[in-house]
Amino acid sequence: MSAHQISSKRIRQLVTCAAAVFLLFGLRLIDVQAVQAGGYTARANSELLNSSILLAPRGTITDINGVQLARSVAAINIVVDQVQIADPLKSATLAAPYLSMKVSELLPLLTGTKRYQIIAKQVQPEVWNTLNAALLAYNTSIIKTPGGLAKRMLGFYSERSYVRDYPTGTLAASLIGEINASGVGAGGIESSLDSTLAGVNGRYLFANGAGTIIPGSQEILTQARAGTGVQLTIDRDIQWVAQDAISAAVKKAHALSGTVVVMDPKTGAILAQASAPTFDPKKPIKDIAVLRNPAVTDAYEPGSVGKIITYSAAMEEGKITPQSVLTIPYELKVGGTVFHDHESHPTQQLTATGALAVSSNTGAIKVGEMISSDTLYSYLHKFGIGQVTGSHLPGETQGILHPVSAWSATSAPTIAFGQGYSLTALQATSVFATIANDGVRVTPNVVAGYFDPSGNFTPSKPAQTNRVISASTAQQMRLMMESVVGPNGTAAEAAIPGYRVAGKTGTAMRANGTGGYSGYTASFIGFAPADVPRYVVSVVVQAPQGQHFGGLVAAPVFKKVMSFVLQTKHIAPTAPSKISYPLTEAALKATNASH
Amino acid sequence: MSRLLGDSRRARAFRHNISGYDKQLNFAVGALLLIGTLLVWAATRQWFASQGLDPEYYVKRHVLNILIGLLLAYGTTLVDYRLLRAYTPFVWGIGVLGLVAVLIPGIGSTINGARSWISFPGGFTLQPAELAKISVIIGMAMLLAEARDKDSAPSNLDVVKALAVALVPMLLIILEPDLGEALIISAAVIAIIGVSGAPSRWVIGLLLLGMLTGVVAVKAGVIHEYQVKRLQSFVDPSADPQQSGYQLRQSRITIGSGGIIGRGLFNGPQTNGRFVPEQQTDFIFTVAGEELGFLGSGFILLLFGLFFIRAFAIAGRTTDVFGRLVCIGVIAWFAFQAFENIGMTMGLMPMTGVPLPFMSYGGSSMFANLIGLGLLQSVHLRSR
Repeated sequence: MSAHQISSKRIRQLVTCAAAVFLLFGLRLIDVQAVQAGGYTARANSELLNSSILLAPRGTITDINGVQLARSVAAINIVVDQVQIADPLKSATLAAPYLSMKVSELLPLLTGTKRYQIIAKQVQPEVWNTLNAALLAYNTSIIKTPGGLAKRMLGFYSERSYVRDYPTGTLAASLIGEINASGVGAGGIESSLDSTLAGVNGRYLFANGAGTIIPGSQEILTQARAGTGVQLTIDRDIQWVAQDAISAAVKKAHALSGTVVVMDPKTGAILAQASAPTFDPKKPIKDIAVLRNPAVTDAYEPGSVGKIITYSAAMEEGKITPQSVLTIPYELKVGGTVFHDHESHPTQQLTATGALAVSSNTGAIKVGEMISSDTLYSYLHKFGIGQVTGSHLPGETQGILHPVSAWSATSAPTIAFGQGYSLTALQATSVFATIANDGVRVTPNVVAGYFDPSGNFTPSKPAQTNRVISASTAQQMRLMMESVVGPNGTAAEAAIPGYRVAGKTGTAMRANGTGGYSGYTASFIGFAPADVPRYVVSVVVQAPQGQHFGGLVAAPVFKKVMSFVLQTKHIAPTAPSKISYPLTEAALKATNASH
Repeated sequence: MSRLLGDSRRARAFRHNISGYDKQLNFAVGALLLIGTLLVWAATRQWFASQGLDPEYYVKRHVLNILIGLLLAYGTTLVDYRLLRAYTPFVWGIGVLGLVAVLIPGIGSTINGARSWISFPGGFTLQPAELAKISVIIGMAMLLAEARDKDSAPSNLDVVKALAVALVPMLLIILEPDLGEALIISAAVIAIIGVSGAPSRWVIGLLLLGMLTGVVAVKAGVIHEYQVKRLQSFVDPSADPQQSGYQLRQSRITIGSGGIIGRGLFNGPQTNGRFVPEQQTDFIFTVAGEELGFLGSGFILLLFGLFFIRAFAIAGRTTDVFGRLVCIGVIAWFAFQAFENIGMTMGLMPMTGVPLPFMSYGGSSMFANLIGLGLLQSVHLRSR
């Protein structure tokens, strides 16, 4: 065979080889693109298109007039993909000044193999814009140098985020609460209505390559649903006055804490709920205890305020009238224990109204003895003692009311004058609201309604109501309670010129949590106008130093807050009562004689 | 144009050239160049746009490379390839000089672990290995066709000399290291020796030697770690999931997700996301796979098929031994490079960084490819 023939033969062999390879490639192409194409497409979509969270803004919390108390403000998280950062030191040196960080702080965040690392949380959009512009400028100039493509600074991304802002600061902090670092409500309304406020984060797909999200590659899988806004029944102005008044009072009395609750007795709506000391939700909380809302989490023994329940029960049961004459000794021995009034006095003949006005303990015990323990218990229960109010305020406690079977010989008389059980400021306010609302108890509530993300308002469902005492009993109780604020009552300081005010002081021994008592709980709860009550205001001050009588410590706060409420709500004064119950038997006889 | 130049002799030569070309060969290359340009554009526009850079940065340079390459190809066809024999030592020397230069730090720059590029001001780089291939082919063809008529086989000494001519550039390329280019030259060497009519023992021996060298190199650790990893990734993509394994897996997924008709030019999410690194260069075929689908990538295969059919025809028809050996060298180079490149993207071949002829972005490779085309056309023009 000649060399030429060999050569041609070898060419034919090469052609055969090439044809075989060509055939193989054709078959492989069919395999990859036709036979297995579906699988590859699915893998392409599932593995390579990343999905990420579309943050949903949290709902706004407003007061009853739409004033924002908590809102979400747009912010930016700056994140990096460490894998894309070729030269961490260079990138850190460039980026650090824009982030107000030291290079030494930023460097470790840029170094490594993490695909997602937050380097700046919740910064102003402007911070990202300037950083991004600086990166772009750097990249645009470096690309003109040899091998510049590889020297670009990549891997910085922005991510939409929200910051929670509390425009009113400390104003209603314990009521509204705050959110924790992961954006979940950590106290107050933020916590109890977290699922409503939070909204639902969406998800979007994006093709992510070469350092940024490919424009146009985003595909929203689920839209983020903004959180539902919550309109509270709180009135910012009343809240402000209440907050101011209680803060001043707590400070002045060197007290442990204090709360004010302002309620509309007809609807159960809470117009203000202030507590002192308060906290600033914008600042990190040092002591977690301050996050408590004392108006609902702290139970105390009501003292004389609780006599209202005893009197209401006896009257509803037909055992007393406002003018029933009672023999009031200074001391009374029941169940082997001697009980006495807070001030020494000779045995008096007082009307029920008079006994309540001077807040006689022995009087309350005698009234309590007129009804059985079971009856007393049932009224306490109906007034809401020993149960949560249903206000949905977070951390609400039910207080302590032992069942009758657990009562000792001294339980009934003790309970009759307001010791031996405990309640929260909100429960106490609710008792007075029941009397103010003609005997019908309305579940306290703080949410007026909800705004969906498009702004449509849905009012809250009407609060649950139940009758506790008759309207006439309630009316008589109100007349009796007016005398408390009268010149001979214990709370003359609560009187508001031009308005009829009714209420009850409380100066209770304060349980110290170790089974004994130390210090006092000074309180005053009242409503106005007394004949057609519109608002209930309760003031509770825990462990005041020095002066500790409710009439002296709490009543002035009541006066300040109630005056403002009546004024701001344009409540017209009502005519003085035609009926005024006499306080003593002597006065009663004199009145009867004059008829 | 010719009248404007007023140079009728050159004009006749031009017309002679144009009409004498193998038109099907030119059609195949022209179509590959056009599709390649679109694919380079598709692979880079979104990427650059997202960086706030000129989205046409790559495609503009690619078109410029093609235009320069076409001039070089045209120039090559003007030269009677037989005259090249006289310049062969010079051409070969230039090739070797470039390969030496690239190894000198300060001149050569390292990209992706290999010192294969010489950088020039203005961001232009040259890859001497691409042009060295041509010098090896011409050098070997000259030695094996020298001083004998077409019916006598080259002597053992001729084969040894030819091998020596190939060995120097190959060793320099392995030093870079650029395994892919070394393999391509090996393919060309074996094909040229085989078609030269040299005894079968040389062909079989060289094939065995090649395999043995590969095995020994891997065992002895001469081959760099990243090259071993690439080979391991071929067998088991999880061996190096971050780098080459990832690249191979993504490459296959990208081609597969195109399906029959593809996602449409510029519309490939994988391509736009740049999940496959080096998509405008070594992995350009994945862009075709995803965006043009089976129809498009199959058409590319057919164009290569047409190219090789015509190239083999030219090699088979010429009676000039030198011309035939040059053709076979060029064919083996293109065939092995296309085979290696497409095979790699489809998971049929281990990963080595070689561009797809006529399609991948890259100036040196494009110039060399089009000079290769010029050589084929030059042989064709002069074999009638």
